[in-house]
Amino acid sequence: MDRKQTKRKKAKFSDVISIVAHQLKTPISVLYGYLEVLASEELGKLNKKQKEYLLDARKNVEVISNIVKDLLDVSKIEEGKYKLNPQQVNLVKICEEVIASFASWARASNCEIVFKKPSVDVKAYVDPSKIRYVIENLISNAITYKSLGPARVEIGITKKGNNILFSCKDNGIGISKTDAAKIFSKFYRSEEAVILNPSGTGLGLYISKAIVELSGGKIWFRRNRDKGTTFYFTVPATHYVRKKKAKTKNIDDRG
Amino acid sequence: MSEKRKRRPKILMIEDNIFLRKLYRDKLTRAGFDFIEATNGIEGLNKAFSENPDLVILDLILPRKNGFDVLDEIRKNKKTKNIPVIILSNLGQEMDIKEGLARGAQEYLVKTDIRLSDAVEKVKKWLKK
Ligand SMILES: Nc1ncnc2c1ncn2[C@@H]1O[C@H](COP(=O)(O)OP(=O)(O)OP(=O)(O)O)[C@@H](O)[C@H]1O
Ligand SMILES: [Mg+2]
Repeated sequence: MDRKQTKRKKAKFSDVISIVAHQLKTPISVLYGYLEVLASEELGKLNKKQKEYLLDARKNVEVISNIVKDLLDVSKIEEGKYKLNPQQVNLVKICEEVIASFASWARASNCEIVFKKPSVDVKAYVDPSKIRYVIENLISNAITYKSLGPARVEIGITKKGNNILFSCKDNGIGISKTDAAKIFSKFYRSEEAVILNPSGTGLGLYISKAIVELSGGKIWFRRNRDKGTTFYFTVPATHYVRKKKAKTKNIDDRG
Repeated sequence: MSEKRKRRPKILMIEDNIFLRKLYRDKLTRAGFDFIEATNGIEGLNKAFSENPDLVILDLILPRKNGFDVLDEIRKNKKTKNIPVIILSNLGQEMDIKEGLARGAQEYLVKTDIRLSDAVEKVKKWLKK
């Protein structure tokens, strides 16, 4: 009975989240639109300070918008309605774009990002915008949860059979043994993480896990021997339908 | 000869959010269009029939009559069945988009994804045809 009650409570909670997030979509679009018109200067020239304030306002609308998107994703994942649109995607290019977009933030954080770029394109069969989300979240975590002083983040992609293996190695604050079991659950954040970055939501890894698993892969991490953490995920290299057992048997029999 | 219709294309926006209406009204008026608006599905349908708009921008979640039903009736009526309709909605699921296009919308724009200037480009594109 207890269990039933908590289950009912949970369902209600995610309903509320989903309703609130949906209600926030329209005002967010309104804000984007107004800011776009003002920034385009079609209503009049702006001075430097006004432009700067508008950009800041826009960045903050983006923050709200991203939280709302995450919440909506979570409610879709929980309802089993989260859909991917997989296709052949060049992961090297996505990694380069993500790293480029983080370049000035990384520089300002005294963090060096090293991409061990493979000499050939590495294609995966994934949803491009969703896999970008995963890569963004892993790299941004590596930058966010760095230790004091200069930091280094190493990104790698390799092909392993019919899978692509992505890795993101940092020398940051690391993940304690007690936190290790929980970091993929929603809203979970370590005490240290909250201190370093009070504005995180704790949804990035939860959503990333859902994306990777729905793509047919796995996501995990290792505590580095010296310092920091390495996150890994695999995704299929090509669209691949598992053959039926009977068929495989037939072929085996023949062979 | 006696035709007094203005050259300016007339856009009807059926949208319950006052701020979005204002945003599009100002933007499209500046871009040289005539702009009329309705705040719910019934009013929108009446204006679609009586005002001869050249294009309709249609929200889906609307008071009194939802956007899909409005679209169906626009398509059923002889007078309005060929007017281009651009859906501008918060519903961004593939299922909704497919349904909107299947019911005869020319374009399906998701509010949170589309920039205002891109939406205006879509309007221009469909008025050229
Ligand atoms: N590279 C890392 N090094 C140390 N701790 C990490 C790292 N990546 C994740 N964590 C831990 O896992 C928690 C969950 O990460 P997750 O990305 O899900 O959420 P977040 O970064 O806190 O917030 P957001 O939803 O904004 O991404 C973090 O709060 C932190 O405690
Ligand atoms: Mg994160």
